[in-house]
Amino acid sequence: MLDDGQIRILLLRMGARDAGSAEAFERLYRLCAPLLMGIAMRIVRRSEVAEEMLHDSFTRIWQSAATFDPLATRPVAWMVAIVRNRALDTAASHDVARVDAYEEESLDAFFDWSQGAGTRSLRDCLARLEAAERQALVLAYQHGLSHSELAAQLQKPLGTVKSWVRRGMANLRDCMEGVR
Amino acid sequence: MKLEDHALLDALCGEYIVGTLRGASRRRFERALREEPRVSQRLRHWQEKAPRYSAKMETRPSPRVWRRLEKELGLEQYRAPWFRRREFWAALAALAASVLLILAFIHQVEEPARGLVQIAQLSGTDESARVIAYRSRDGRTLALNATPDMVAGTNRSYELWLIPAEGGDPVSLGVLGALDAHLAIAESERPRLRAGATLAVSVEPAGGSPTGKPTGPIIARGQISS
Repeated sequence: MLDDGQIRILLLRMGARDAGSAEAFERLYRLCAPLLMGIAMRIVRRSEVAEEMLHDSFTRIWQSAATFDPLATRPVAWMVAIVRNRALDTAASHDVARVDAYEEESLDAFFDWSQGAGTRSLRDCLARLEAAERQALVLAYQHGLSHSELAAQLQKPLGTVKSWVRRGMANLRDCMEGVR
Repeated sequence: MKLEDHALLDALCGEYIVGTLRGASRRRFERALREEPRVSQRLRHWQEKAPRYSAKMETRPSPRVWRRLEKELGLEQYRAPWFRRREFWAALAALAASVLLILAFIHQVEEPARGLVQIAQLSGTDESARVIAYRSRDGRTLALNATPDMVAGTNRSYELWLIPAEGGDPVSLGVLGALDAHLAIAESERPRLRAGATLAVSVEPAGGSPTGKPTGPIIARGQISS
């Protein structure tokens, strides 16, 4: 899986903008494009649209590499945020394409639970949430649904869905911080 | 009010990660990420709790995406020159390895036809010149290998003689500019180039012996052993 240390070095070499920067970028692309494409696909659901997101995101990644502060940010999370932001914006302007029913996929298809600090507590804490809270959070995260899309999807009033998300988040945080 | 002092900072980080933070609120949060250290610090705190993505998430994009990026961003100018690219050296090494393999193969195939067989060792009285004579397997070529190599110079030549096993006058096999030499053996001489005959090198005037017989000193001689 993607290693932050390796990605960080590639980003620094890209930022240098000298002979070899293009190779670093190509390597970064080969490593990260499949994951970023997968994330975009979950949100926009059509490969030609997702590829457009991917193109825009990597353009942005290339342009921002020179100013990217590798110590301040986790590079994989940074790139994921770029793609998600782009995809969320697009999804918001293509409401019609998002009427098909979403299934709450198992988060196991999304995450590799075997690695990463704090992973166990996230998994356990998710399991301890109210079913409605968990479903709202997971759907929103996996498919980038907005509050109103969630409300339509779950056939509940907007206010109810918003409070599920908010409560779910607070409970998750308290659980992970060991408050309860 | 700054976001980093916001009572709901953690909730905002959460909604940002989950993606329900939208529109103007999302942009405001991202601006705070750049400007307010505690916001980016808190977001990182939560991001670090997230597990790695599963490989099952991956979807391969079409190769078009990379080709377009390469063209639009003008990446060619940021490429290392061809001789500094790792792929170039890897390809070169692979090529060299296959050339070696082919050469080894050809060598193995052609060895019986073109191989040389040592037939005599020639040496002088003072041991100054040692010459090893080889004959090709097909009998058409004679090769001399001298250590050290000796060059006759402009005023003199070396001449290689064959003294037949059954006796008789030396027969000239060739005039040499240097002791390291390859010479073709006339078909008429081939049967005589056999065990018991003697090879000898004499020093002659430039162009070879004027008489058809050795006129100068013999600097190396040796009997053909096989």
